[in-house]
Amino acid sequence: MRLLVPFLIATLGLHAQVPPMTEVQERRLANGARLLLVERRGLTAFHAALVFRGGRAEEPAAAAGATDLLARTLFGATWPEDLEPATASLDALLKQEEGLLESLRLQRLRLRRDPSASSPLPSLEASLEAVQSHLKARFSPSPLSDLYTARGGRQSAEATADALVAETELPQEAFEFWCRTEAQRLRTLQLSRFSQARTALVADLKQQGDPGMALLRGAALPGHPYGRDLADHLPALEALRWSDLRTYARRALSPDRLTIILVGGLGLEGALPLLERHLGSLPVPPDGEDAVLPEIAAGLGDRRVQAALGGAPRLLVGWRIPPRQHPDHLALRMAAQLLGGGRTSRLQAHLVRQKTLARQVDLHLDVPGGRFPGLLVADLGPAHGHSLAELEGALHGEILHLQQDPIPQDEWQRALALLEMDHLRVLDEPASLARSLGRAWAEGGDWRLADREAQRLRTLGQEDVQAAARVWLKPSHRTTVLLEPTPGESSDPLEADMARVLKALAASRIEDLAQREQLVSEGLRQLRMLSADERLRTLKLLEAQLAPVKP
Amino acid sequence: MRALLLASLAALALHAQPQVQRFTLPNGLRVLHLEEHERPLVRARLHLRLDPADLPPGRQGLPRLVLRMLDHSDAAGLKAGDFDRLLEGSGIQLIQGLEPDGLEWRLLARSRDQDRALGLLADRLLRTVFDPSVLQVQRLACGRDEARQEAPPYPRLREALLQEPGSRPTPASLGAITLEDLLAFRARVFRPDRAVLVLQGDLGLEQAKRLVLLSLGSWTAQEPRPAIPPPPATTPLPATPPPPADAPGPPGESSGAPLRIPAPGTGLRIQAVAIQPDDLAPEAAALLTLLVPDDPAPSHVRFTVEDRHLIATLDVGTGAGAGSLFQERLETLRQRSFTQADLDRARTAWEAGRALATLHPGSRLETAFLEAEGRGVQDIRMKALSPAALSAALRQWLAPARIRTGAAGDPEALKAIPTDLQPKP
Repeated sequence: MRLLVPFLIATLGLHAQVPPMTEVQERRLANGARLLLVERRGLTAFHAALVFRGGRAEEPAAAAGATDLLARTLFGATWPEDLEPATASLDALLKQEEGLLESLRLQRLRLRRDPSASSPLPSLEASLEAVQSHLKARFSPSPLSDLYTARGGRQSAEATADALVAETELPQEAFEFWCRTEAQRLRTLQLSRFSQARTALVADLKQQGDPGMALLRGAALPGHPYGRDLADHLPALEALRWSDLRTYARRALSPDRLTIILVGGLGLEGALPLLERHLGSLPVPPDGEDAVLPEIAAGLGDRRVQAALGGAPRLLVGWRIPPRQHPDHLALRMAAQLLGGGRTSRLQAHLVRQKTLARQVDLHLDVPGGRFPGLLVADLGPAHGHSLAELEGALHGEILHLQQDPIPQDEWQRALALLEMDHLRVLDEPASLARSLGRAWAEGGDWRLADREAQRLRTLGQEDVQAAARVWLKPSHRTTVLLEPTPGESSDPLEADMARVLKALAASRIEDLAQREQLVSEGLRQLRMLSADERLRTLKLLEAQLAPVKP
Repeated sequence: MRALLLASLAALALHAQPQVQRFTLPNGLRVLHLEEHERPLVRARLHLRLDPADLPPGRQGLPRLVLRMLDHSDAAGLKAGDFDRLLEGSGIQLIQGLEPDGLEWRLLARSRDQDRALGLLADRLLRTVFDPSVLQVQRLACGRDEARQEAPPYPRLREALLQEPGSRPTPASLGAITLEDLLAFRARVFRPDRAVLVLQGDLGLEQAKRLVLLSLGSWTAQEPRPAIPPPPATTPLPATPPPPADAPGPPGESSGAPLRIPAPGTGLRIQAVAIQPDDLAPEAAALLTLLVPDDPAPSHVRFTVEDRHLIATLDVGTGAGAGSLFQERLETLRQRSFTQADLDRARTAWEAGRALATLHPGSRLETAFLEAEGRGVQDIRMKALSPAALSAALRQWLAPARIRTGAAGDPEALKAIPTDLQPKP
């Protein structure tokens, strides 16, 4: 009885209207940049997001990593030296640094091919150090030199598959300063700390990736930028020059790709003239063509990859699903909620709690993005004493159950209540609201998509969800990655080096992740038959083949 | 003049924020209330203070296990799964966690569900019956969470350094925890006079008083049970994976011995974590958070302040010379003398930044809670802060005895790390 009463109340509550995003005001600036403004009168600060549509998916292979580099070097901080009108001396130093970095890179490649060759490496390194110390002398290391930090603000930037998003929070009285600063930043594109940002990005890519998820993306979306793993493109990233990145930025960060989102205590009448004066006067580059990307058929066939990357065993299953504007997308979102959203969802309740087959279950929608066909991913870790095969069987059983059996009403209402609550939370938090609007625009081409989805949820039928699950969550759309622990994993550094070089070589020649993994495993197996000396020589020969991609 | 203008604007901004109302229930529960009707939402945060004496020797991991048991036991006659269904049926979010100084529950609910949300929180806190049949499973889960063997080496290093020395659970300490220990801990810690509840959102003061009284008014302190003697013999956990070879044992805070996490083929990272002293003035802490972070060139030490911890990080290819460079940079920072100009700039930035709190509903709960605990920043003390006091506060924060150090990377590179990474005067 006690359970019934709250359930009835919850059911009645769902008939209440989900608040619409009526407070969003939209304008277009003179140069084509869009403005979305949400006025919150009680706030004494504002959250601003600059969303540049494109992101990693639109990077050509030779400029892989450019969006991440721009997020770090252009929007990571606001140093005064990046905003001053370009001075000849700073430009000259940065060009000098670029030349030296490129010479060093080429020298190192030459040495890798022929270690006995004479090399001017030490003198180049000394010159670079001298130039960089001149550069550093111009930069203040104090965090309060950052113009936003000094005004009580903070900023961050993120590169996603579909957009570059730069976010700033400042007290309201700093709004004009923000407009002026952002316009100046985009006009100047100084990128004075380019080499530091690139070194940090390369280090992060080497250390902190999720190889399992990268493997799944590559195998499920072959040949598409959505399937690309930046860690496979380190030579291209290391070959990317300061001037290349500036050229790329002029095209990728043009006003016609920009939406400015403001949430806070700002009125449109006061904000618009300032935005027009500063950001609205940014020039539009002549060639504003969108990149043409390959299309991937959803039914590529049931694909499987088995790999041993070290660490705990893990099962990753991804289904190719349609982009966010597709009519079935919302139904798939509901399907994901029913399967893995919340503690009472099916995978949590059945696989983790009741059958104790899994110790952890996570579901991700739109991996890596939602503008193009992406993935719905189930990421599961088996519980102690259970195999990946058992877990895989149970997961497929749950999918089948969702496709075929009626969905109990209380379960449906719980999933709806959680999604609606999340929508309310987004409306309440300025940063979440700005992100939600920006994502809807970058992925679906229209910010109203976020609102429409929230309203459509209430008219969505259980049969819609089941029909979408039958169409999209089927074996021909599926890619399965089984990550096994490495039996007796070798701690031999030579073997580790060999694996690294083989993986890099395979990455530069083979798109298909499944084939790539198979080739590397077979290569390692054969190399183990050689003596240590022979393996060392083979390693050097293979390393010499690691030629960089020229941008 | 400019600083004055900014300060005035910041002060105005603060006046625009809702005022905190305080009341205390007869049972001693302190309540803070922030009324806001912009959206139909209510947030709550309940904090239960933990004292060092609450943790009996040899029972490391006890608070974590108590939270897990609460999460997986029946409450108020409801099975654990039914309890979750009630929460999720109304879209209520309830998150519990272990903070450095206590246990915490955070609630988010629609305002129309506030009665049910707070009622369910009370059920979880006061009417949960620990289920002995899940104890062993939860011990194992706790052990697995601690080992984090699947996590990459750098996050593992950071997590290990953030742990209070001696508080890291081990298979033996988790195996030693009995149902009686859990009950005794609950009787000692789950007391209304140790708790602070912050309520924020779409409810008025009278409504808040009624709500709290109805749901938590019956909460009474139990008599503390006698302290548990140290276990004569521990029961090791069956089927628990052995601690990894790199498990930090008792972290070498006082000995200065750095923790080592071997990771073949990984570049070397040296890291130090300085926990913010409890007696550090909050005003000094707020300004140091702005003044200390650094943006150095690659291969130099990077300083950040995260969640009240000052963290120094050095990423290098090899260990040669890295240890001494790290020590030197730590000592340089420790000896830094701030000027009046540094102080003024930091103070101006901090005052202007207070307006940003209006953008984050959650941070207003945090600020209200800190003020209630006497750990909030006070304007008078902020104005009285001198450069010398700020420099002394940094030295206090970076006192060698307070710094935990460690390194993760290739085993060969780790060999070159000295046995002591503490700053050397």
